[in-house]
Amino acid sequence: MQLAIVGLSHKTAPVEIRERLAFNDGALRRALASLVGREDVTEAMILSTCNRVEVVAESPDDRLIREFLCDFHQIPHDAVSKHLYSFRNADAIRHVFRVAASLDSMIIGEPQILGQVKEAYRIAADAGTVGMHLSALMNRAFAVAKKVRSETGISASAVSISYAAVELARKIFGDLSGKTVMIIGASKMGELAAKHLKRNGVSSVLVTNRTFERAVELAKIFEGAAIPFEHLTEHMDRADIVISSTGAPHFIISRSLAELVIHKRKNKPTFFIDIAVPRDIDPTVNEIDNAFLYDIDDLQQVIDANLKERMKEASRAEEIIDSEVEAFCRKMQSREVVPTIVQLREGLEKLRREEIERNRRYLTVLSAEQQEAIDHITKSMVNKILHTPIEELKKMAHDPAGSDFADAVRRIFNIKPPQ
Amino acid sequence: MHVLLLRLALGLYFVGFAHSVLTALKKKQTLFRPALIAVSAGFVLHVLSIVLRALEVQDLPISQQYEAFSFFGALTTLGFLVAYAKYRMAPLSVFVFPLIFVMTFIANLFYDPTQSIPPALRSNWIYIHTPLIFLGYAALFIAFSAALMYLIQEHALKSKHPVRFYSWLPSLEICDDLAYRSLAIGFPLITLGIITGALWAQSHVGGFWATDATVLFSFLTWLVYLLLIFYRMSGWRGRKAAYLSIVGFIGVLVTLVGANYFGGLHTLQ
Repeated sequence: MQLAIVGLSHKTAPVEIRERLAFNDGALRRALASLVGREDVTEAMILSTCNRVEVVAESPDDRLIREFLCDFHQIPHDAVSKHLYSFRNADAIRHVFRVAASLDSMIIGEPQILGQVKEAYRIAADAGTVGMHLSALMNRAFAVAKKVRSETGISASAVSISYAAVELARKIFGDLSGKTVMIIGASKMGELAAKHLKRNGVSSVLVTNRTFERAVELAKIFEGAAIPFEHLTEHMDRADIVISSTGAPHFIISRSLAELVIHKRKNKPTFFIDIAVPRDIDPTVNEIDNAFLYDIDDLQQVIDANLKERMKEASRAEEIIDSEVEAFCRKMQSREVVPTIVQLREGLEKLRREEIERNRRYLTVLSAEQQEAIDHITKSMVNKILHTPIEELKKMAHDPAGSDFADAVRRIFNIKPPQ
Repeated sequence: MHVLLLRLALGLYFVGFAHSVLTALKKKQTLFRPALIAVSAGFVLHVLSIVLRALEVQDLPISQQYEAFSFFGALTTLGFLVAYAKYRMAPLSVFVFPLIFVMTFIANLFYDPTQSIPPALRSNWIYIHTPLIFLGYAALFIAFSAALMYLIQEHALKSKHPVRFYSWLPSLEICDDLAYRSLAIGFPLITLGIITGALWAQSHVGGFWATDATVLFSFLTWLVYLLLIFYRMSGWRGRKAAYLSIVGFIGVLVTLVGANYFGGLHTLQ
């Protein structure tokens, strides 16, 4: 296995560079075909997302891949070289594991990247550019990503405003099914929060807005009901969750209104989310029993704390990755070294027999005893020649350099690499 | 043999106790599965111990002090296992396991086969009065735990300090629901328990029972719970109900622990 990775990501390159090196679907297939057609590249896959472009290949030389990336996109090498990173062998394995486990993501622990890696692998597999090495590597990477996800809290908590709203709603209501959310004002953020709540079980959506048409439009998207802005207060007690995001310069929900709503709801809890600036809801509403008010800063605080928690979990994830990389390296090396030893023995034994067969007519004059002695001598010569290489190979089976060493031995004795 | 079984049960309950302490310290449940298994196994041994004791004395073993605590411990465990089977609410264990452990620990500590209730009170009423009161207390303890969980979670949400969030606690609505339901089960049980206790005393010692401190305290406690039921029905929820539920259970504790120190009818001799 001679893994090489060349790529760039949000950490090394600005978006202007990333977009120039990105591959769309059609380009991806062409690129794979052209890459594997080259000498010294036997397997390849390409991951291209908005945050990273990476070529993972089975190849002894990463310069080939750098050149390929620039050639394919017709960009001078100097323009991108400082943004490109390359990894080889164990470092490459670690990088693949980290990317799949979302440790290298812009938002650590975000779950989409694993799906994107899987998709990139599927495309390469369909294109026929994946062989024994990449398939072993990627399948392990998927398992490691799953392990990291389940054994650490790296993806456990919300790190966006709308997910934080869902997380908090769950702490109040538990199951969100059967709950009603009311959106006041038709802002993008309010819409997004409502969308996440709906996806997480909230069953009905009420929408109100100063321009009634806009409320009707939004209500249609959520299969909810539009309420004229003037009737807002009469309907508010129907909502378990109230999201306010109007552009109003004053409070839309005063303390007395919130008190009235809670009273009408017979003290059933209400979760007020104020994502407007300036604020829509009187901050003292939070002091009312069974009313819970979070404004944009409060939500941001939750997110910050969650991010900190993710960072802590990430260091545990790195430990898992470390031990997985080591285990995988060992497995791959013994997988190359052992067959090489077998091939060596078989190859030289075959050579010896062929030589004896070729000279059979000279040997027939010898006595049976002498013939046997020759057989014995040649055998022991072969064994003596092979003794050191095999011993060294065995020693190298668990060494990071074992793969290169096995490769060198194969070259010396002219043996094909194991398939 | 029944003492050995009780000690083994105590050992297994200790795993549950350790789970509670760890959860409180680490703010995360790490030991719940093993603790649940240990406590369930402990419960089986515990029941076996009670059954052996019952066969030995040819009677329901609740007339001695240690027997009573052991019995109460077993009932609480049963209560938790039933509640867990229905709600799958692991966090409840954090509160219930220590109680189970402490009750069983006291039972072991007070083991004294010579102690018993005064002969004057020997009667069949004990088989009705004591289990009713104990079952009622077990249910009210669950209500108390739910109220505590509610208050912790509510405080975290109101204070908006995410560092204080307890991810292992159930949601406010579930805590409140559990508190209400266990109150609805516990209250009728202690009501019946108090009535049977009154009838028992009436038939054996006449009218003197009203001056017994334990009786007095349990009646006051009963009034607190009556008030809570009344407020609940008129629409109280959440924080206020939780506070009252905690006050009620403090009354239960005073009654229970005080029973032997106040003197009077509930003192064992």
